[in-house]
Amino acid sequence: MAINREKIIEDMSKIQVVGDKNGIIDGFGVFVNQLPSDFWIGFSEKLVGSVDNEIIDATEALLVNAAQECGYHTGYGIITCEEWKAVVQPMVENVEDVLHGAFAILTAWGWANSEIVELIPGEKLVVRAHDYYEADVVMKGKSSMFKAYMVKGICAAFMALAYSGEYSVKGEKVNDFTCKQTKGIECGDAYGEFIVLKA
Amino acid sequence: MANLEKIQLVLDHKFDQKTGRHFINDTQIVFHCHHFTTLYTQLAIDAGKTALLANVAEENFLKILTDYYKQHGIESLDDKIEIACQYYSAIGLGTLEVCFIGKYSGEVKSANSHIEMGWIKKWSKYDKSVNYIGCGYVAAMFSAIFDNPLNSFHVEETKSIVKGDEYTMFKVVKN
Repeated sequence: MAINREKIIEDMSKIQVVGDKNGIIDGFGVFVNQLPSDFWIGFSEKLVGSVDNEIIDATEALLVNAAQECGYHTGYGIITCEEWKAVVQPMVENVEDVLHGAFAILTAWGWANSEIVELIPGEKLVVRAHDYYEADVVMKGKSSMFKAYMVKGICAAFMALAYSGEYSVKGEKVNDFTCKQTKGIECGDAYGEFIVLKA
Repeated sequence: MANLEKIQLVLDHKFDQKTGRHFINDTQIVFHCHHFTTLYTQLAIDAGKTALLANVAEENFLKILTDYYKQHGIESLDDKIEIACQYYSAIGLGTLEVCFIGKYSGEVKSANSHIEMGWIKKWSKYDKSVNYIGCGYVAAMFSAIFDNPLNSFHVEETKSIVKGDEYTMFKVVKN
């Protein structure tokens, strides 16, 4: 594997963005924002905690879906952007390298300090996240429920980008893979673990 | 002679190499895209939780603006307004222009909006207003400016870019 993860994180973490004269950050094929992480986890946690028990699963699935669409479209923008071409592309020899590079960027951009620990091309992906902002919902103790909706969605989306053929603006392939969280820092584990399989 | 130069927002951006976390002025931030914001907004609409979405936004931005005013010694009304509008733009939410502001009410115009332009880009126009995050921000701005607690102001959109208006207008009334 030719990917130098540390160099990608070092270089890509230096990217700083700010709104243009219209207050818009137009990049990677999307409009970008840089809202507080507490805003995202505050809303998801209060939302899940306030809905009736019978629709908790559906609510959580929609939170994951938001990240899955975000990961698919923004992920494509990332792996085709100038910064990627300059920093990561020279290290890429195959599709698997693209995935390893994408998870280095996931780390560099503050989504999750995460890396691939197992990859069966087109079939299975296991990701370990040593730190992620969604775990911050628990400050002491252990939650009985996994909370990493965003990481789950992103992991599944990256597999679709890698193995579901050409990128589609309409996102028809965005749900080709599904992700299950099997460990969580918020649940007392040392790291979060995410297993992606074909849907 | 009056000093007509506008105050400039200071953004101190840091990256924690060990944890992979980004901070602006000591608040942890994360890059996300309009797909994420619009789908969260759609989820809030479908679940009947739009007030919750606005409230969480207000809660977060009230702390950010209040801390900033305190740390930088921002005291005048003009400077407080300017900083709040610049911060909104800096984090990519669009533009805010205060048409009028008072202790009991106000009107704030937004000619550019991350959420609404993102919504139109993703799904096209919509028959209801959708900028609940913006409503929360404007409520936070008013509370921070007048040193009021959370939930002091009610904000609603009376015009909306996503509905086809030229700009979004936030109407503010004290609770």
